[in-house]
Amino acid sequence: MTHVAIGLGGPSLLDEYRSLLGDGPIRTLEGLARDLGGRRLVMVNSTASGGGVAEILHRLVRLLLELGVPTTWEVMPGDARFYGITKTLHNRLHGLAATLTPEDVDYFHEHSRRAARELDLDGDLILIHDPQPVSLVLHRRRRGQTWVWRCHIDLSRAGADAWEILAAPVAAHDAAVFSHVDFVPALTLPTYVVPPSIDPFSDKNRPLSVTEADAALTPFGLPARRAWVTQVSRFDRLKDPLGVLEAFTLLRRRVEAHLVLAGGSADDDPEGAVVLDEVRARAQTRSDVSILSLPPDAHVVINALQRRSTVVVQKSLREGFALTVAEALWKRRAVVGSAIGGIPLQIVHERTGLLARSIEGCAHQVERALRAPALRRRLGDAGHDHVRHHFLHPREARDYLAVFARLAQSWAA
Amino acid sequence: MSDRFELSGVVHLVRPVGERVSELESLRTALSRVPDRALFFHTRARWLHRPESDELPPDDVSAWVGGVIQDREVAERLSYAADLAGESAAALRVAWLAVLDTVPERARNTHAAPPGGEFVFLACESVRVPSGRAVADATELMRSLDEADPSVWFWHLIEEPWEHPGHAPLLRWLESRGETGLAERFESVMRSGRPLAEMRRSLMRRWRWSGLGGRVAAAAGQSAIERRRAGREAVVSLTRRLHRKETP
Repeated sequence: MTHVAIGLGGPSLLDEYRSLLGDGPIRTLEGLARDLGGRRLVMVNSTASGGGVAEILHRLVRLLLELGVPTTWEVMPGDARFYGITKTLHNRLHGLAATLTPEDVDYFHEHSRRAARELDLDGDLILIHDPQPVSLVLHRRRRGQTWVWRCHIDLSRAGADAWEILAAPVAAHDAAVFSHVDFVPALTLPTYVVPPSIDPFSDKNRPLSVTEADAALTPFGLPARRAWVTQVSRFDRLKDPLGVLEAFTLLRRRVEAHLVLAGGSADDDPEGAVVLDEVRARAQTRSDVSILSLPPDAHVVINALQRRSTVVVQKSLREGFALTVAEALWKRRAVVGSAIGGIPLQIVHERTGLLARSIEGCAHQVERALRAPALRRRLGDAGHDHVRHHFLHPREARDYLAVFARLAQSWAA
Repeated sequence: MSDRFELSGVVHLVRPVGERVSELESLRTALSRVPDRALFFHTRARWLHRPESDELPPDDVSAWVGGVIQDREVAERLSYAADLAGESAAALRVAWLAVLDTVPERARNTHAAPPGGEFVFLACESVRVPSGRAVADATELMRSLDEADPSVWFWHLIEEPWEHPGHAPLLRWLESRGETGLAERFESVMRSGRPLAEMRRSLMRRWRWSGLGGRVAAAAGQSAIERRRAGREAVVSLTRRLHRKETP
């Protein structure tokens, strides 16, 4: 499957946002959409389900369609070898030790050449998400199109060998967009900083009734009387589930709590099963730890888990943004996150959440939050407000439309 | 100049400038060469983030000097300079450099930001968003502004005057329509350095008051039925305004 169909059934997302944010932001979006004059936008990424980008696109494409921007979503097809290579590339871009052979690099480009023939890339504006489809521009760009590369990952420690693979295709785009200023490499094309966002009306974030939340969580048999400390993330070493387990072990010497590590996998992540096995092996004798391997569509379960948790943790070692932080803040949870990548954009220490830089720091901050309901309430309220102003889909949609409008203006000038 | 004045909103696209500083000396060097749009981003653009707020956010530079470098005195003086000379990039740059020049060279290098605490200069590029409204006279202008989004107010009262010091297009248009009094009122509010919400309240309040005498005199000549209808319309309009204020 290369094309993801997005339906427009159900309540209007635009109306829901209008009721949440007021007329102003929606009028701005409508103005920008009108200005595009019916030009067709194509979103391209490498998976239709699992992971933050796919989740964003499911709702953002719908929002753009409701705004009258003809938008389609293409998924770059891949095979096991391609995903293995792109996962290694992903790790190298995050600065981890890994090796890409010249044959791997050739295969990456050759696969992109083949995929470019299968995808419908005949729109006017092409927004390429992340490194996997970055080379498509070299094979499918035609006159009059505007290509923008949108990088969701933290490139601040990218290995030179990995960046070398991307440099030429990235330079063939008209602009590049990054989630954080620290991730922007030296480029000659225009670069913009646009953080990702969440949709408060999706199944993962909408309000849940007690009955609905109970129904979603009952099958997992989680202890109802203990405070839950939860990390929701793919089972990925960069999300450091073993570090969370260690921090939890430290704090359990002093407080009663139950740890929930919940996550799924993505089609383009072949390492997930291995990491899940490692985490299970480490926690197998623990009755105070639950490990939930969830399918990619377990949105209501994750919603209920976050809402029922006393503290939500995101102890990543590298992080482009961490949508899970915005999701938990939106639900007014106290969140403890690593001071890494895009997390500090969301967690302003002591104001909207608590930051930590070590396993001990994580244990300390979680314990503080567990012991202080007033602190949790204060952080939760400020966090909700912060997300409302900065990290909801209308702002991200607005910024993408503005990037295309800006590029059109500068060419006209 | 066209007869009609087109109202626009604005969206700011953030981009890196490539300057990262860790003490007052490198801050001084960077301030002498960063683009005007960086100065705008770090002082004025933030006003649009919380347009409903009655309090102005501090400028980023003095907040960093106070919070990270921990030189509270220099932070205060930078903040004051930003308030006083914040009408244009040129004036702000001169004022900030003057403050830093008074700090002895050795002291400019004494305190450095810890790793990760550097000040990263950003700039913003503005994308104008047409509101679809082009007004023909002052009455239409004020009615349209009353309904307009904060970004429209921001563009015409803060950003355009910053880009064209002394020649804000809105003021020139009002003057060309013979509305010198209203132009002066706008100019005084633009120079006031007040938060956006307060600028809006102040201008709209004065506009409503200024039209009150005329409306009372006109109503005196109307029939009782017309006066009752006008009264009902006024109540409906007031209710709408109050409802808008309460809607988040």
